[in-house]
Amino acid sequence: MKKYWGIFRISFQQEFAYRLNFVLWRVRNVFQILLTYFLWSTVFAGPGTQIFGYDRAKILTYVFAIMIVRALVFSARAMDVSRDIAQGDLSNYLLKPLSYLKYWFTRDVSSKVLNLIFAGAEFIILFLILRPPFFFQGDTVALLAFTASIILAIMIYFFILFLISSIPFWAPEIGWGSHFLVTVVIIEAFSGALFPINILPQGLQSFIMATPFPYLIYFPVQVYLGNIQGSALMGGLMVALAWTGVLWFSLKFIWQKGLKVYQAIGR
Amino acid sequence: MTKKIKKYFKIWWMMSRNSFSAIIDQKLALSVFLIGKVLRFIFFFGFLYFLLLGTKTLAGYSSNQVIFFFLTFNIIDVISQFLFREVYRFRPMIINGDFDLVLAKPLNPLFRVLMGAADVIDLVTIPPLVAATIYFGSLLHPSFISVFYYLVLLLNGLLIAAAFHVIVLSFAIVTLEVDHTIMIYRDLTSLGRLPIDIYQQPLRAFLTYLLPVGIMITLPAKAMMGTMSAMGIILAFIVGILAVFVALRFWNYALTKYSSASS
Repeated sequence: MKKYWGIFRISFQQEFAYRLNFVLWRVRNVFQILLTYFLWSTVFAGPGTQIFGYDRAKILTYVFAIMIVRALVFSARAMDVSRDIAQGDLSNYLLKPLSYLKYWFTRDVSSKVLNLIFAGAEFIILFLILRPPFFFQGDTVALLAFTASIILAIMIYFFILFLISSIPFWAPEIGWGSHFLVTVVIIEAFSGALFPINILPQGLQSFIMATPFPYLIYFPVQVYLGNIQGSALMGGLMVALAWTGVLWFSLKFIWQKGLKVYQAIGR
Repeated sequence: MTKKIKKYFKIWWMMSRNSFSAIIDQKLALSVFLIGKVLRFIFFFGFLYFLLLGTKTLAGYSSNQVIFFFLTFNIIDVISQFLFREVYRFRPMIINGDFDLVLAKPLNPLFRVLMGAADVIDLVTIPPLVAATIYFGSLLHPSFISVFYYLVLLLNGLLIAAAFHVIVLSFAIVTLEVDHTIMIYRDLTSLGRLPIDIYQQPLRAFLTYLLPVGIMITLPAKAMMGTMSAMGIILAFIVGILAVFVALRFWNYALTKYSSASS
């Protein structure tokens, strides 16, 4: 445990070594939130507007909640795994007395803590500037379920990242390409980070809800808003838990297969 | 002058051919990126479609008009990525000191680092995008003069996009940072995916005058809808020329700060 604490501290300090990089990354997040915020603010500009089952307070809470949930779920370093594999740097870690998976999970947690601090500050600043109506969840059960859904989202995202990063075992040239396709395009659209999934037609919603992606952002935020309760809440948590299990076993299987074909190219 | 243009066109053609050959050699990577770009477009288009199905209008604009704004954004975004892709690869050149080799050649260094590698993936997406823009543009029933204003302002938008890329390159020389700066440019321009009328003041003024995303993207689309005056078009050109002037001044300043590190 002590060595992972060491990794956590070093990783945290490393982020400060490239301060400008980090600040610019946070600036990017703010721009993305601004587009989403103003889009929905315009849609719900009329007093008493109710569309897609949302009112102005709930949709703007959704947008602001994305800011925090994104920092918790999407802040990660594990996409660098694909580079380790493609350039043969994985060999360095395989020789060390540590779990490669836990090493990256620790680095992810460190990144999440730092991003959460900044996202919290951005949240307060934007909240004070924009003064949106905000829905505060007071129900303990909803808050507990929200926490559980966030933990599952973090695990799902970590496993997806690691699975995608394993592709260079077989095709080193598409390391970044596969991340672009899955994390930048598919996850961004299907996770609910851009828009709530329930504005889509029912058939499309059902299809997306059967994938692991909406359990990253959409489901936790809906749980916070109190839009998912009772058996639907339990069912959603079970699906997220099932995806966590499926992805974990898939990762173990793929990783073992990958290590067998790993040639340490570039070493 | 004509001789010089011919020479640079020939060089651009050669560099682009080399770049295309390098990308086409990696068929799998090419397919993955192409699929990714097409899906990203489809997903946002689909989102807008379903959103407007529920709301009917956005900031007073009809569905077709909002989609036309989005397509105009894509036209400028994709063409500038096609032309200026080399900017994304500038950082290693600065870090390794390889920029020395560019400076030593009898060629304008800005031309080389700005337009040195056209992107074939973006080129593939341009024709269907243009076709979609023509289709949705025709649904707005524009007059001949509106179409003319649109095309002229589109060129002005590309001029501003070029200025932004030159600023990113200059910033890279001064700070050694490119990756996030270029993505911030992309994020800023992506605020123009929708008409800038949806933003509140002072953000709207900021996006119109200081960072002329509105002039770059929203104005051409508005011209197509016949809501632009001749004065507005002249003003847009003044901003475009000013942006290029500022960018070139910054580039010249940045060159004096180049330290030739690691070379």
